[in-house]
Formats: sequence, C-alpha cells, structure tokens
Amino acid sequence: MNAIIISLLFVPLICSFLIFIIPNSRKEIFRPIGIIFSLITLTQCFYLLFSDFGKTKFVILSNYQWIQSYGLEISLGISGMSTLLLLLTSLLVFVSLLSIGSEHAESKGFIGSLLALHFAVNGVFISGDLISLFIFFEALLIPMYFLMGIWGGENRRYATIKFILYTVFGSVFIFIGTVYTAVISYGTNRALALDFDTLANLEFSSSQSRTLFLLFTFGFLIKVPLFPLHTWLPDAHVEAPTAGSILLAGVLLKVGAYGILRVSIPFFTEGFITYKNLIAVLSVIGIIYGAIVAIAQIDIKKLIAYSSVSHMGYVMLGISAGGYLSIEGAIIQMINHGITSGALFMLVGFLYERRHTRNISSFGGIKITMPKYAAIFLFTSFASIGLPGLNGFVGEFMILMGSYDHYKVLTSIAAFGVVLAAIYMLWAYQRIFTGPISNDKNENLKDLNIRETLSIAPLMLLMLFIGIYPSFIESFVIQEAGFLSETIALFKDVN
Amino acid sequence: MNGISEILSFSFLAIGPTLALVFTTLVLLFCTITISTPVYIKKYISFFGILITLFTIFLKFGLFAREGVNSYFSEKILVDEFSLVGNVLIGLILLLTFNSFWKTSEEIDNKTTEALILVLMSASGFLLMVDAENFIMLFIGLEIGSISLYALAGLNRGDQLSNEASLKYFLLGSLASCIFIYGVALIYVSLSISGVYETSIAINFIGPNNIPLTTLIGLIMIIVGLLFKVAAAPFQAWAPDVYQGSPTGYVGYMAAVAKASSFIVLARLSAISLRFIIDKFDLFFTAVVILSVLAGALFATNQTDIKRLIAYSGVIQSGFILSGISFGVYGISASIFYLITYIIQLIGVFTVFSIISGQLSSDFKISNLSGLFKENKFLTIAFSVFMLGIAGLPLTSGFVSKFILITNLWSYEKYLIVTVLMLTTVAGFYFYLRPIWVAAIEKSDNAIEKIKISISDKVLLGFMAALTIYFGLLPNTLVNITRWMVENYL
Repeated sequence: MNAIIISLLFVPLICSFLIFIIPNSRKEIFRPIGIIFSLITLTQCFYLLFSDFGKTKFVILSNYQWIQSYGLEISLGISGMSTLLLLLTSLLVFVSLLSIGSEHAESKGFIGSLLALHFAVNGVFISGDLISLFIFFEALLIPMYFLMGIWGGENRRYATIKFILYTVFGSVFIFIGTVYTAVISYGTNRALALDFDTLANLEFSSSQSRTLFLLFTFGFLIKVPLFPLHTWLPDAHVEAPTAGSILLAGVLLKVGAYGILRVSIPFFTEGFITYKNLIAVLSVIGIIYGAIVAIAQIDIKKLIAYSSVSHMGYVMLGISAGGYLSIEGAIIQMINHGITSGALFMLVGFLYERRHTRNISSFGGIKITMPKYAAIFLFTSFASIGLPGLNGFVGEFMILMGSYDHYKVLTSIAAFGVVLAAIYMLWAYQRIFTGPISNDKNENLKDLNIRETLSIAPLMLLMLFIGIYPSFIESFVIQEAGFLSETIALFKDVN
Repeated sequence: MNGISEILSFSFLAIGPTLALVFTTLVLLFCTITISTPVYIKKYISFFGILITLFTIFLKFGLFAREGVNSYFSEKILVDEFSLVGNVLIGLILLLTFNSFWKTSEEIDNKTTEALILVLMSASGFLLMVDAENFIMLFIGLEIGSISLYALAGLNRGDQLSNEASLKYFLLGSLASCIFIYGVALIYVSLSISGVYETSIAINFIGPNNIPLTTLIGLIMIIVGLLFKVAAAPFQAWAPDVYQGSPTGYVGYMAAVAKASSFIVLARLSAISLRFIIDKFDLFFTAVVILSVLAGALFATNQTDIKRLIAYSGVIQSGFILSGISFGVYGISASIFYLITYIIQLIGVFTVFSIISGQLSSDFKISNLSGLFKENKFLTIAFSVFMLGIAGLPLTSGFVSKFILITNLWSYEKYLIVTVLMLTTVAGFYFYLRPIWVAAIEKSDNAIEKIKISISDKVLLGFMAALTIYFGLLPNTLVNITRWMVENYL
C-alpha cells in the first residue's frame, strides 16, 4: 500500500523526466509515453479505490523524517475523497493527453509540464501534513506557469502573472497559518508536528481557531474561487491552452475546496462555525453572479469559466451548510464539475483547433457540418446544467436538499442558478449550433475524428454512469462526509 | 621560546587558511616579477592555493575538536563554530566562483595576476575577519577584504560603469569603515575593551541597565559598518551601482564573500557580545529589516537591468537574514541556513550571467536574456532554479529557509516583521518570475548570441542547482549543522 502511495508521486515525475531526456527527433513517442504512464497512475488509483482505504476517512500510511531537529515529518496518506480526486486527476490527464492536437503533443515541454502538474496535484491529494500540503500546493504553480506562459493565448502574460500572484498571495496566508499551527503544536508536543493525526488532537483556543480558519480558508478560497476572489479565473482560462484549461477547471479548483474540507473544517471547526454564514452568502452571490455574467459572454471559454465560478459556488454552499447530505453533495459535485467542465473545455478546444476563434458570433449552424460534435456538446451541456439522469443533477440536488435545512432563503436563491445555467448553456448552444450556417468558413468544418471521440468518450460514460447510479460514487464519500458533519455537529452540541 | 608562545597561545593553525591564501598570493607575485610564467601555471598555482586553504580549514576542525572554543594570539583570533562555518563558507565560495573569476582575470589584458591576487587577498581578509575576536583585528580583516573588492570592481578600466562602480564602492565603503572604527573607538573609550567576548563580560558585569550610552552608540556603529557590507537598507545605495558596473565575472564572488563574512560576524556579535542586551536593539533591527525588505521590493519592481534587480533582491534577502540574526539564538541558526542557501543561488545566478554576457561586461538588461531557452536549455533551467530558489518556491532551498526563519520569528512573536516579510515574498514573485519569463517563455526575434559553455561551468552550475533542490527536499543535514553552530550559545 505504502509503495503505491509513493509511486503516485514518482510515476508522473519519472515520466516527466523521461520525456525531457528523449531527444526531439523522436517527437512522435512523447504522447504515447505520457499516455502509458498516466494509465499506470489510473490503474493505481483504481486499485486504491477498491482497497481498504478507498472508503475511509483520512488515514496516514507513512511518515518520513524531514527536519529532525525541528521534529518536522512528511506524512502521506489516503482517504475516500482523496482517492476519488486522484482518480479524477489521472483520468483528466489521460484524456487531455489524448485530446491535444499534434502541435502540443509533439512538444516535450508541454507533455512534461502536464505530467509535472500531475505529480504536484497527486502530492496535494495524498499529503498527510500541512507542510507537504503547502509544498505541493505551491509546486502546482511551476508547471502551470510554463503551460500558460509558453502555450497560452494572446494576452497570456497578463493572465499568467495574475494567476500566479493571486495564488501566491493566497498561499502566503496558508503559509502563515502553517507557521502559526506549527508554533502552537510546538507548545504541546515539543516538536513542530504538523501531521493530521497530531492536529486532530491539538487543542486550539477559540481565537486561535478563528484566526487559523481565516488564514487557511482565505488561501484556499482564492483557489476555489469564491465570488470576490474569482477574477483571475476567467483570464487564466481564456489564455490557457486546452489541456491547461481542462486541468485548471477539473482539478486545480478542486484543490482549494479539498483544502477546506481536509484542513479548515476538521481542525478549526470553531472558526468554521463562526464564519460559515459569510461563506454561504458569498457562495450564493457567486452562483448567481457567475451565471448572470456567463450569459453575457461572447467567448465560449470565458462562458465556461464563469459557469465554473457558479458551479464551485454550489460546492462552497454545500460545504458551508455543514450537514451530512450537503457535504456529501459538495464532494460529489467537485467530482462532477471536474468531469463536465473538463469535457466542455476539451470540446471548446476541438472547435478552437479547427477555427482558431472562440467567439460565439463567428459560429452558427455548425450542427449541419459537425453533427457528432453537436450531439456530444449538447449532452455535456445537459450534464453541466444538471439534467436529471446525468451527473450534474446528483451533486446539485444533494447540495440544495442538504443545505435547505440550514439556509432556507439562501438555498432558494441558489436554486435559481440551475435555471440560469440552462439559459447560458442552451442559449450558447443555440447560437453556435442551430440555424443556417452564417459564416462561410464553417462550411467545411470536419467532424470529430476517432482520437477526439475516444478522448471525450470516457468522460461521457462517467456522466451517464454517475447520473443513473450515484450511490456507487456516494459509497466512497459516506464515511468522510459523515466524519466531517459529525465534527461540526459535535462542536455545535458542545457549545 | 616555548613559554612565550604558550602564553600568547601561538598557533599558526588558527590562521592557517589566511596564511595559505597570503602565501599563494606571494608565490603568484613572485612568479610575475621574477620569471615570466605562462598564464595557465598561475591558474594551477591559485587553484592549488585554494585547495591548500580548504585543507587548512579541515585541519582547523581538528584544532577545534582538540581545544574547543579557544582564542589564540593573546585573544586576537578566535576558533569557534562561527569561524569554522565562516571559513568553510568562504572556502566554498572561492571554489564555486573560481571558474568565473579565473576567466575574468584571464580576459583582462596584462592584469591577470593582479586580479587573481586581489581576489585571493580579499578572501584572506574576510577569513581573518570571521576569525577575529578583537574588533581591531576584525577591522583589519574587513579592510583587507574590502579594499581588494573596491579594486576588483574597477578592474575593467575601459568601462565607464566599472570606474563609477569602483569609485562609489570605495567612497561609500570608506565611510562605512570610518563609522565602524569610530564605533570601536567609542566602545574602547567607555569600557576600555575591544573584544567580542570582553564586551559581553563587561556588559554582564555592569549590568544591562547601566550600560553607558557611548557603548550602545559604539555597538550600533559597529553593526552599521557591517550592515553596509551586506547592503541592508538604508545602507544599500551602493549595491545596485556596484553590481551593475563591476565585471560580471567578479560580482558573484564580491557579493557572496562580503555578505557571508559580514553576516557570520553579525551572528557572532548577536550571539555573544549582545546576548544580554539584544532587546535594546529591537527597534533598530526591526527598522532595518522592514526598511530593507520594503526598499528592496519597491526598487526591484521596475528595474530593467537584471544585475540591479539581483542587487535589490540582495537587499531583501539581507533583511530576511538579519531578521533571524537579531532575535535570539535559534533565529541565528535559521539565518545561517538562509545565508548558505542564498549564497549558492546568488553565485549560480551570476555565473549564468557571466556565461551569457561575457565575463567583463558591465550592464546586463533583462531583455538580453530573451531567446535563451532556444539557445541553451541547460542554462535556462539552471537559471530558473536559482531564481525560483531566491523567490522561495517550495521544492527549492529558498522555501525551507523561509519556512524555518518565519517559524522562528513567529515563535519570538515578531508578527509585524513576519507580515512584512511575507508580503514582500508575494511581491517578489512578480519580479523574480519576469526574467524567467523573458528567458524561457517569450518568443523574440533578436535571438541571443551563440553561447559557449565549458564543461567545468556546466558541472559547477549543475552542482549548485542540484544543491538548491537537494536542500529544498532534504534539508536535514544543513539544518543540523546550523543548529550545532549555536547550541553552545543558548
């Protein structure tokens, strides 16, 4: 078990190095190597999923001395939620490697960065202490910086710097929170022990708990992103290359929510109870605001980016409601949003490769030339809107149902987000696909080829599978959601 | 004879490294003025001299193991943990920069030997400085080191910027030396002492609350003299001009050696001389730290010359290192860790610059880096590693040093400083990532000239980049060393 956890880190890293070593004359094998290695990771994740730890709350499996004289240890572990997110990550890396056009697939830097990103994300999801969590959280930035910087769009410089500065600004708060926790932990344990087991037993006074909650949560919320902190997201999405967007929306946004569920809530519960109303209000504003702004977009990618703001608002609403059902819904919504938004960005990428524009107005009626593409896009849009029978519905329904007990008015407002989602997605679909072909350039568009169909197919299967059999995915998060909601409920009872 | 030498505690081993370097310079001088020696022989002589220096440093560890912390030459020379670490650090700097300063010296017409002698002499001075127990001895070491550096800065006579750098460095540096020696005089006037240990004993004797004002002023002046050498604000004005103007091949050495030795001395002062009254200097150090990081960050933001950028970043780093030194013993160990890792990155960055723009060049625009990735991938990766290390990104040693330092500061409850330092770190990402952007990402038309990079340079750069990552992943050994340094001064 231990070996598998560690190899989750090393397999992508070794693959990344391998690709950097292979000379440029063999550029056709970059993609196959990346795919093989991501399949290895995918298999490992499946193994984890059906192992003893696939359904538990977080269990630390291995410890390593890091700085002895300070008593700092690196701990690695796994839980049900982590396993699902790891699975999502390797799946998205796999499909994005499959989906990218030859221009990116033949660049060793691109595939190498993608796998380095995979390494860092895996690191976040398996880290069992604050230090390694922070290290991997920040290490995400390096491959993302190069992915956006080198292969991004026109305005990439601005977007990249904005993305980096926002994230670094947030992570400074996490850093200070880590330091503060370390000093508190030193007072009790005489060592800077920061692993999650130690933290769970550590006593925080209420002011400490509040401060630490604010520090950590602020950092994570920038990554989510919550409403007033979201402005980096549309820029980053528009400028990032397709594979970067897929992973940004599919995985990196989840890192923020994951951090809140993993660190902020279980350890700083008092702070959470103090500030959860604020977060709930902001997330509902985010849901409505993101959806309304999405309606007005003329760039498809920006539209999906704002829809991400809206969808992640649901996740935060579910988390801040703090009930069993709502937290479970939030975790499931994280996975679902990863799948659907990843698929949407991939589809937009296919269109962009053909036409080199993302303006909605330059399309129209392309259903005639690309029927398969149109069908897949409609299917994915429905999943994103939350049509019953597809995955989007499951998470949003659970969140809304679970949150209603805690926030009646807010949840009622948030429910309108689903209607707005139908407006922006279907209206965009209508403008792009239906009617006569308005632009001559669209007359000779080729439909999806086999590689592209294959790369979107796993995601579509998952959308359908989760939609009709949600209890499968639910079974992996029951314990974790139960643990979190019990922690919150217990704390409420005590006070 | 034996008796006298025992009373004076005569031990050539205690100043062995200094002697070895001075001897090397004498041999070089002899070779120049008597027999005409081929240049490559001088190279071997100086390299051999450096190796002997390292060997004597190794022998000094034996002396330390035998005698423990001890002073020699009637309390002029001290062998303690600080001097040992300082010696190793300076030896390491000589070794890591040897390639750069050798090539630079080779390129200067007719002055190769002078240049080498200046480099080795300055190292010997700084070695003496970290060994000194007596303030006068400290001053002598500082001056031998600094004067050689002033000359090195202006060695490229044909370059106006180089002349300007040398003059500025000389004038401001002499002013700092004046302040330093005036401080020593004030302490001597008020307490009739001039030693590192004597000061702490005297202060303990009169009691921390009865110290004469002259002593305090004297101590502050000594610290100011040293702060000038490390370019902490508000004494940083010389740094950008000197870094920009001096021959690029020398800047790495100049910056690293002055910073390393001055910080080691500052650490020793803080751990020994000021140990009973360190809280009296709280306000002073806080002001210097905050000024340094703010001024450095503000000025670094809009630099177009990358050497100036690194100079201002050096001001920020000085603030960081000083913050640990000034607040307690564990802070000192964190600062020394920071210092060692930073110096490796600093030397690495300047080695990259000297390879790209030529050893003797002075100003070096950020835009000159464009197209580097296309031309040489190895250099770009090494450069990115060093810059990310200075910025403090995880997986590099910069992050570990910042983490340890901030943890210590937080445990001393220095919340204001922690806040300022962290905000500067965020700002730092803006200007540290810009050169990487230009070097690795931006596509430009005016491609960089063909770069020739020798195998030794490649090995050195690879070694330094590997160290930067190694200390980021497995910092345990180095942390233990820095903890060992301060354990006796708790």
